[in-house]
Amino acid sequence: MIKRRTVLHGTVAAAAMLGAPSILHAQTKTLKITTWGGKWGEIMKGTVLPAFEKEFKCTVQADQAFPYVPKLQASPKNDPLYDVLHTNSNEQWNCVVQGLVLDKISAKDVPNIADVYPWSVSDKIVGVAIFTSAIGLGFRTDKGLAKPSSWKDLADPKLAGARGSYIIPVNSLGQCHLMMLGKVYGKGLQDLDAAYKALEQLKPIKLVDFTGQMEKMLLAGEVSMGVIHDSGVYRYDGQNQPVDFASPSEGVLALEQVLNVTPGSKVKELAFAYIDYMLRPDVQKLLAEGVWYSTANKKVKLDAKYDAKLLTTEAKVATLIQPDWKWYNARKEDIDARVTRLLRG
Amino acid sequence: MTKTFDGRVVAVDGVTLDIAAGEFFSLLGPSGCGKTTSLRMIAGFERPDSGRIHVGGRDITDVAVHKRDMGMVFQSYALFPHRTVAENVAFGLRMREIAKSEIERRVKAALAQVALTGLETRKPSQLSGGQQQRVALARALVVEPPVLLCDEPLGALDRKLRQQMQFELKELQRRLGVTLVFVTHDQEEALAMSDRIAVMNHGRVEQVGAPTEIYERPRTRFVADFIGEINILEEGGRARALRPEKIRLVADGARVSGTVETANFLGGSTLLRVRSGDGRSFLVRETHAGERASRRPGDVVGLAWSDSDAVLLEG
Amino acid sequence: MSAPRNRQPFDIGRAAYLAVNGLMLFFLLVPIAIVLVFALNPTPYISFPPVGVSLRWFQKFFAGADFMNALTLSLWVAACVLVLSVLIGGACALALARGHLPGRAFLTAFFMSPLMLPAILTGLALFQAYLLAGIGRPVWGLIMAHTLVAVPYVIRTTLAVLHNFDRRIEEAAAVLGAGPVRVFFEVTLPLIRPGVFAGGVFAFIVSFDQFPVSLFLVVPKGETLPVVLFNYMKFDLDGAIAAASMVSILLALSVVLVLERLIGLKAYVKL
Repeated sequence: MIKRRTVLHGTVAAAAMLGAPSILHAQTKTLKITTWGGKWGEIMKGTVLPAFEKEFKCTVQADQAFPYVPKLQASPKNDPLYDVLHTNSNEQWNCVVQGLVLDKISAKDVPNIADVYPWSVSDKIVGVAIFTSAIGLGFRTDKGLAKPSSWKDLADPKLAGARGSYIIPVNSLGQCHLMMLGKVYGKGLQDLDAAYKALEQLKPIKLVDFTGQMEKMLLAGEVSMGVIHDSGVYRYDGQNQPVDFASPSEGVLALEQVLNVTPGSKVKELAFAYIDYMLRPDVQKLLAEGVWYSTANKKVKLDAKYDAKLLTTEAKVATLIQPDWKWYNARKEDIDARVTRLLRG
Repeated sequence: MTKTFDGRVVAVDGVTLDIAAGEFFSLLGPSGCGKTTSLRMIAGFERPDSGRIHVGGRDITDVAVHKRDMGMVFQSYALFPHRTVAENVAFGLRMREIAKSEIERRVKAALAQVALTGLETRKPSQLSGGQQQRVALARALVVEPPVLLCDEPLGALDRKLRQQMQFELKELQRRLGVTLVFVTHDQEEALAMSDRIAVMNHGRVEQVGAPTEIYERPRTRFVADFIGEINILEEGGRARALRPEKIRLVADGARVSGTVETANFLGGSTLLRVRSGDGRSFLVRETHAGERASRRPGDVVGLAWSDSDAVLLEG
Repeated sequence: MSAPRNRQPFDIGRAAYLAVNGLMLFFLLVPIAIVLVFALNPTPYISFPPVGVSLRWFQKFFAGADFMNALTLSLWVAACVLVLSVLIGGACALALARGHLPGRAFLTAFFMSPLMLPAILTGLALFQAYLLAGIGRPVWGLIMAHTLVAVPYVIRTTLAVLHNFDRRIEEAAAVLGAGPVRVFFEVTLPLIRPGVFAGGVFAFIVSFDQFPVSLFLVVPKGETLPVVLFNYMKFDLDGAIAAASMVSILLALSVVLVLERLIGLKAYVKL
């Protein structure tokens, strides 16, 4: 059964490759995208993508297997492995530098862009951000800790060995945290010297590489307070877990879900249509409430419990800080070397 | 026949052998003398570079190994480790597409012949060295080959067992009337078993003859030296070979007199090393027919022999 | 009546030997034990001591269509890899050991080279080659890739058997009237079989566990189990991963045991 299905896939791909018009007419178009797994993937595969396929009379081939960017890099530019790349903002910036994705996407191609919050298409974004999470502090509510109000609360000596962050070279949340340290302890997000000094003060600290690991560390009580995105805590809402999320007063960092189109895509119109579809209020609401993401579309009305916690108003959105990934990626190697040395000693 | 390896090493150089039907024929020589290569050419594993091989008037030089209809016993026995004793013995019969019942009968007979009845279902690894040897023999003989080739078949056995197997093999060969070509480096074994022996050295045959002939009338220095103990007498540029037992110890009329240096007691005889006045060394075998002789190192003895016992060597 | 027994003198060498073996066994088994605890623990994170025993993660694993499809695909691919690598690796080893090939040492190294290359590069290189050749990423492409890294194992184990192979045994068969083909099937093949199949078992496991080579070569909805587990882990780090690992371990183990039963890996020829 598996074999037959794969053979069918192969035929579609081969037909597209040959570009034989007669065959293309006979076949439905295929949109090749990347998307996340987990709960998000369930909703996508269960509801969102089948509805899109039906409406646009196409087939969507959704790759949920990392690593997307190297695979895209390795495929021919005039026949890329994906039409739409869904990934975080830092990786989109890497891709745009290599010409793997488009620079900007306008409301002309994706009409729903007219309804988005500014962060969705700001100068810190290539492509379109369709959701964002807020990176702040997650903490245990059963350890007698006051709800943190500042990023500096993570440096509380009581938290020695019980605070958590990420391995900076491999995790963008760790990279965000480093930039935030520059802002909180120094002159701004780009004050790396202040950030390094502050990072050293956080030792001993538990570092993880997967973002999902931080939730588990918090749940298991191995970490009492750690850098985490709001959705990683809110998803346990109603499950009686002694964890909560705090947005520090200095602001929260954006962890955007960005969609972008590859320049070599043979089905660009369909690709834009997909992004537009993902920005539709009903689709946005479904996914936002499924995985606790803040929506890009201003017109979405979330249910009260989500509305209370997610960034759903202009005022709440104002607390969101978008890192300059172009700036960061250009210095990444030096930063990696520096923090590796710093955290090892 | 001639065979070279790598185009450099001449393994067998112009060897011509004429082996009679029903004969026990040994190829004797030190390792590397070409005896095994000769045997492998007869078997068909190696192809002679020049020369032909005939069996019973038929030229088999270009016949493939498996069509030569020979039997062979290897030093390592080369039993099929994954098959039982009976299956090992039956192999050659199976290849000849003989009826099952006939195979059963002949395997049974062959195993009885080598006294292995009852071990049919054993694997070779469950047998002793001597038993494995017999299986190898039964496996080779069950197809009733006109020619049986043996490549040092007794070499891996201990001395006692080897002697016993020598008798058994010889007896079996005589009873079956099979032509047996036997490769060995053990001169005692060759002397004891063979009808005729070809002594080989450096890829050449030095001498072919019956064991007594080889022993008593060695033609070359190599043959004389390789087989048994020997005294080589140099006289006017000619060499003569004189067996130690042909030298008598005499009080009067000694050709040479000398001093006993060592006396090795060997059971049935004693081997003396005697140093003559002019510095030559002689080996003398003193047999103990009656009472034990009592020559000791330091004794002065006289040595005598008859001219006919000192065999003139070629070259 | 009771003569004093000779007391075994304390043997420090033997004690050290046992200690090292015990330690090695410990290091081999501890990860499996941890995985088992995680798999049976009802909490979605590793908690020690475990708070209870539940099969919910096994249920989640077996009920997950993604997991089951991946498991079926992995087993199917591994079975194909086993057969292919046994055929190819066995033939290669025979050619290397018997073929009197010029540059044998070079050829051996060449056939072993997939083991030297980091597997992730093998996967990436094949991915690019497939895309450039325009064949996409079919399942047979994945099978070929796994076979590429599995064949050296079969070559190694077969060469080991061939190295100790007494060729007189084949000669004995030939003298007894077996032609080259019969010699191969009656003698050579049965004798090298333990080596070939030991390699085949390695090949199966190499394929079944293969992650780096598969990473680039799997297609959406056609992912092998290790790839699915890796991606699952990035979003849902819960006991289903551990349950999947346990199932994988047991499956691999049972395949080895079944093969051993069927083919008899207990070699009469020493490896």
